[in-house]
Amino acid sequence: MEENSGLSSMKFFSDQHLSYADILRPHEARARIEVSVLNLLRILNSPDPAISDLSLINRKRSNSCINQGILTDVSYIFLSTSFTKSSLTNAKTAKAFVRVWKVMEICFQILLQEKRVTQRELFYKLLCDSPEYFSSQIEVNRSVQDVVALLRCSRYSLGIMASSRGLVAGRLFLQEPDKEAVDCSECGSSGFAISGDINLLDNTIMRSDARYIIVVEKHAIFHRLVEDRVFNHIPCVFITAKGYPDIATRFFLHRMSTTFPDLPILALVDWNPAGLAILCTFKFGSVGMGLEAYRYACNVKWIGLRGDDLNLIPQESLVPLKPKDSQIAKSLLSSKILQGNYRDELSLMVETGKRAEIEALYCHGYDYLGKYIATKIVQGKYI
Amino acid sequence: MEITDSVLKLLLQLVSSAFQRCRLAEDLCRLSVLLDQSTGNDPPITCISISDTGIGCNLKEFQDLRCPREFNGAKFWAILTMAYCDADGLLSVKTTCFSDDEVYCYHINLDESISNKRQKRQASQAKNGANFSGTEVSLSVFGSMDVLVAPITSFFQKMLVLQIPNVTMDLIVNQVENSPGTQTHYVFVVNAEKTPCFTASNLERLKSGLEDYVLRHRNCLDIMCEHCFSDREHLKVGSGTACSEENRKKTGGTMEVVIVISDLLETTRSCSRSCDGKTEVLYFDNFSPSPIPQAALSALKKIDWKSYGLVLASVNDQDGHVFLEWENFPSYVQIQIVLHWYHNQYPTRQRTEPGINLVKKGIKNSLNDLKAKHEGFLLSSHARKICSYVPDLARSIAGLIFSSTDIDFQGDCLSVLGFQPQEAERDAVEDYIQRKIVTVIGMNERKPQKDQEAAASFLFFEGDSETSYFEDEEIECEYYSTTLE
Repeated sequence: MEENSGLSSMKFFSDQHLSYADILRPHEARARIEVSVLNLLRILNSPDPAISDLSLINRKRSNSCINQGILTDVSYIFLSTSFTKSSLTNAKTAKAFVRVWKVMEICFQILLQEKRVTQRELFYKLLCDSPEYFSSQIEVNRSVQDVVALLRCSRYSLGIMASSRGLVAGRLFLQEPDKEAVDCSECGSSGFAISGDINLLDNTIMRSDARYIIVVEKHAIFHRLVEDRVFNHIPCVFITAKGYPDIATRFFLHRMSTTFPDLPILALVDWNPAGLAILCTFKFGSVGMGLEAYRYACNVKWIGLRGDDLNLIPQESLVPLKPKDSQIAKSLLSSKILQGNYRDELSLMVETGKRAEIEALYCHGYDYLGKYIATKIVQGKYI
Repeated sequence: MEITDSVLKLLLQLVSSAFQRCRLAEDLCRLSVLLDQSTGNDPPITCISISDTGIGCNLKEFQDLRCPREFNGAKFWAILTMAYCDADGLLSVKTTCFSDDEVYCYHINLDESISNKRQKRQASQAKNGANFSGTEVSLSVFGSMDVLVAPITSFFQKMLVLQIPNVTMDLIVNQVENSPGTQTHYVFVVNAEKTPCFTASNLERLKSGLEDYVLRHRNCLDIMCEHCFSDREHLKVGSGTACSEENRKKTGGTMEVVIVISDLLETTRSCSRSCDGKTEVLYFDNFSPSPIPQAALSALKKIDWKSYGLVLASVNDQDGHVFLEWENFPSYVQIQIVLHWYHNQYPTRQRTEPGINLVKKGIKNSLNDLKAKHEGFLLSSHARKICSYVPDLARSIAGLIFSSTDIDFQGDCLSVLGFQPQEAERDAVEDYIQRKIVTVIGMNERKPQKDQEAAASFLFFEGDSETSYFEDEEIECEYYSTTLE
């Protein structure tokens, strides 16, 4: 018991070990790049010459820590101060080392021109410039994260715009600077696209009379709910990232949660490990983007689809877990941050070896979904 | 009847001794070998004379020589054609020093094992006040001299590698079978223009000598082969020394190693003598070409060639001639190695062979010297792979410097690199950065393994680093599409 209290008191100080990415203005980001160039050259041309290693914050689980919300009910994952080296003289990391410099070079040019590019655009530029080093989007993304880990500033500060997949619809008015307010309930069945420009999102004025914020995993479900104008029966705002959440959508959700702190945030995901993973990313953040995204954790609650809803769906709609699902489940279960009731749900999935999609509820009729959500809210059945 | 190897070996030993005498004279000397084949005999008899104008001979040299079988045969077939040719199986030795009043003459019976009976003093010849020193050794053997010419020539060609400037060697071959007889004269002289001066060290000479040897196709040509080589300057030469200390048990000695690597020209295909990619290893023992001892052979096998980017396929020892073969070796490159082991004091009664570690050390020092002088050369395949990334890295860094609008930053960078800010051109800067990085990679390779791990300082932070290599790890939760935002 004593040990536990000792550990729990340390929770107050966990943030001391937090590594974070600053949000910088273009000239500040350029200055950091310039400093790294100068340091490299100084050491290269010194009497005892060497090629400096790049000191990157370790983006591995071993360097991730949890901040258990003590005074708030938001917990998040963050990256601590353990570093990893990327060295030119090590054959394994040599190419990655060069990639970091190439990305820095391009970002430097982008910042000079005061432009913004998406990661996709960056990929094509790098593919033209240096095809031997960048063959896939993933390599570009990882190299960008390396630069973030090296310079300790957000991607946005480097001129890289998040391309957003997010959509929002419902009882919400958004007013971008110098523009007319947009009514998100009149945006048609596809909703309003969330901008990838985080700066813009930060300066958007939000007004709402909703009582709930509902995060929807899949686009199809979002579409159905919006088309049926469910947000008028249940005063709410629907948000989707159409799958795994991008940073802009997470930022938007976070902004909403701080602007409307009384609104509970409820998540509607498939009953499978991947769905829960998406929920957890909105809720806690991720190790992969830990430097930037720790800030955008929100207190998201799981409304459905859950284990105790399985009696609502036909047996046939329970399909076997895929191998990837099992992998995800295993990974989630080993995470320290996962709370007990989520673990129970996961364990049930693993034990039965089954999963189910939200669409299974349509067996009761296409408008059943709205009723389902309303019932759950009224019963307070969200965890 | 053929002259056998043991006769040849004896001959070369005598020539070698003559050479030592010339070398130690420190004055211009001549070493001549005369081969004379008498006609009319069957089997033929060859008279051989080795004369030099070096310091006088110390008869102790002859104590260890052994008599080849063929000498005895000649006793029964003696027909004297020339006055100095003695056909009764003995060595006839005439020698004198500067300070001597006479020329001393001896007969040395190699057959005789009892030492005080081996040499018999003969009547001396008067010098009549003349000041000279020298030695003449004569003998005759069974067999045709044709088989002697090539080995002796080869021996002299190798001797030129040592580049001892004061000794001129020649070989005179008299054929009196046809009338008028023919006389062929081969001269081996160190090129005075090209060689290091008289005061140069043995190692300097060895370097120069090996370069010549390579450029002139093992000294068969008089000048550099223009089909194969463009310029002496394009040779890459490394040299190394390792010494063993003198102590009670053994005399001190020095192991010198020189390695020459050449890039052959395209036109090398039209040259009949161009090499076949094998590396010849020459071995000298106390200023004399010698078959390679076992210790040196083992040392060659044990060197970690891989750390120099070379993969040894085989070591072939053909009668003391050693050739190394490499795997995946480019056809336009040639490597030549010479090892020279000598005692620090001469003459020395107790001759020892170098230890395997000493030889290894000498070879390693030579390889490291090559590597140090030519950045980006002899890198292990690991380092070469890294070096292939360096031009792109240099381009990025130069790009960063020159695309900046901050003049102070640009100025700082250029002055750190040693350029004048106003005059620096991007290509020159990029080139410089590239060369510097390659040099560092090469230097890093030469450090002992543990030092290589201790990394250069970090770019920004002196973090407690987990030295886990950055690996692309399946990041938790990122399971969706590959086009992450």
